[in-house]
Amino acid sequence: MTTSKSLSALAALVLLGAAGAAHAEADWKRGRVYYRMVCTACHVEKGGSIAPSSKTIAEWTAYLAADKHAKGKDTVKFYVGKKYRDSVKASNKAAEKYADVAEQDLHDDLKAFLSKGAKDGESPASCN
Amino acid sequence: MPPRRIWLSIVFAVGFALSAWADEPAPAAGANPADLKKILKSTADHGKFKELEGPFASGPDVTKRCLECHTEAAKQVHRTKHWTWEFLNPESKQRLGKKNVINNFCISVPSNYGFCVTCHVGYGWKDANFDFTSETNVDCLVCHDTTGSYKKIPGRAGHPAYEEMEVPPGSGKKIKPVDLVKVAQNIGKTSRDTCGACHFFGGGGDGIKHGDMDSSLAAPDKALDVHMDATGNDFSCGTCHQTSAHDVPGSRYQPTAADRDGAHIRGKADKTNPATCQSCHGATPHKEEARLDSHARKIACQTCHIPSIARGGVPTKTSWDWSTAGQKGPDGKPLIKKDAKGHVIYDAKKGDFTLAENLVPEYMWFNGKVNYTLLGDKVSKSDGITRINWFEGSADDANSLIWPVKVFRGSQPYDPVNQTLVTPHTAGDDDTSYWKNFGWEKAIATGMASVGAPFSGKVDFVKTEMVWPVTHMVAPKDKSVRCIECHQQDGRLQHVGGIYIPGRDHVRLIDLIGFALAGLTLLGVLGHGALRYLSHRK
Repeated sequence: MTTSKSLSALAALVLLGAAGAAHAEADWKRGRVYYRMVCTACHVEKGGSIAPSSKTIAEWTAYLAADKHAKGKDTVKFYVGKKYRDSVKASNKAAEKYADVAEQDLHDDLKAFLSKGAKDGESPASCN
Repeated sequence: MPPRRIWLSIVFAVGFALSAWADEPAPAAGANPADLKKILKSTADHGKFKELEGPFASGPDVTKRCLECHTEAAKQVHRTKHWTWEFLNPESKQRLGKKNVINNFCISVPSNYGFCVTCHVGYGWKDANFDFTSETNVDCLVCHDTTGSYKKIPGRAGHPAYEEMEVPPGSGKKIKPVDLVKVAQNIGKTSRDTCGACHFFGGGGDGIKHGDMDSSLAAPDKALDVHMDATGNDFSCGTCHQTSAHDVPGSRYQPTAADRDGAHIRGKADKTNPATCQSCHGATPHKEEARLDSHARKIACQTCHIPSIARGGVPTKTSWDWSTAGQKGPDGKPLIKKDAKGHVIYDAKKGDFTLAENLVPEYMWFNGKVNYTLLGDKVSKSDGITRINWFEGSADDANSLIWPVKVFRGSQPYDPVNQTLVTPHTAGDDDTSYWKNFGWEKAIATGMASVGAPFSGKVDFVKTEMVWPVTHMVAPKDKSVRCIECHQQDGRLQHVGGIYIPGRDHVRLIDLIGFALAGLTLLGVLGHGALRYLSHRK
């Protein structure tokens, strides 16, 4: 391997290592707080809450992968994103608390909680 | 690749790597942000221990590994009520604890061990011969799991699922086996989830027993509990129930009703209960309204600061009538009825229930002394209501405060000939368990035989009451009980005797003097004003 290729590979490893470290392990408890206090808080006002246990792990995984919120009117990622958190943080303490959390991290946290709380998850969860 | 591009990619990569650390406090040398959380959480990463690489066939196998380092941990656990399920009240000399008391929920533990011990911090308690000296039977994981995936399965004597199984049998609901390696490698401090796995579900389900503890406290907002608020103080149970040597303070058998010792101070050897409000807030916490501190001499903090319980969307049971159990539906199967919200209000296995959300507590004087009606104590239907437990206290007692309580009312089986409460064998898959055969005589005969208690063979039902102190779900101060809610007739404290509460109570002479003084004051002011007005005109 030439020196240039070695250095490039090293750079790629550092890059991947940092990215991997930053998203090492999802925090399902943080995902739970966000789901209940941001997602559910809004859903209760606008049509009803959705219990994590109302879907299977596969259904939640597919839902998050499709990234279609409100039947495709907008995206799930928008509601996990910093822009949305900034827009509601004045009235929502969870959005305020997690205002600076990386979007991907929070998305992973949410996914971890929904997998755990799904109908066939380790701990099927209600809205409470 | 041109050298410039190589160096650019290195600079970019290093820059990206550094940026990943940028939004965290100064990390330890060599730590990245993802690891930092783990580093700050504990001095030991159990994921790095070869001893915990498994495989593990059972929970006790994990415990053996834990004890190789934590050599005294099991001995500490053995000394606690969480292990013994027994408590000898030093004053009343009553032998209490879950193992011995009778309640008016699922009634009692003996002969139902395999199911009840789902909440025991041990493995293998399936009958009265359980070895309480076994160290490897201590369940470390049930309190120290952080993954949320460790669950003991009812009917398995305190064990989780080691293989896929149907729970309950015949239900079609499959439980996956627990990953013991994952749980063991991720153990940590206790949490609202680990304590709540049992304490939120007391009495057979979410929120049933206590009312001030249910699954909504796993991730509560400020309105539900100012201390546990997941977006604020974020207390775990252990923040208040400061535990030493695995012994968790805060007993319901010998509660601290009035803490006159004030705030605990670091470095000072405090031997009083660290879980009281005063142990943090002191005896005079109302800085803006000193008058409220004088109230606290007679009123528990909880009376004003917990306006209602079951506020998190989970109802609590308020009554349980075992006498109606055993009904079958038109299809011949055990009947189950639900209310409009889907909550079970009748179950053939258990009888009728009533439930409530936002339940306003009842109030009574309480000095911390609790007495129980135990198995063998005489009970008579003619007495009206049998008190499963009762709180001592009065207005004249310096150690008494007015406390909020949940009073749980029920009707449960008793032996009308021997005039005792009974311990029925309810849970189990055998021919005598009530939930299998729906026959009280067989179920009670088995239960009473298991503890060597006499049973006449006759069964009747007696009305019962049980009292639970209310102390969780502390509301924000602007949601506290308002003055007028007590200072009025028919207010919250209408049944609390021995104390004069202005607005609720009236003494004609005092009222007359008060109104007279107010009238005279008004006359004086008006007269004074009139005189000044007239003298000014002259």
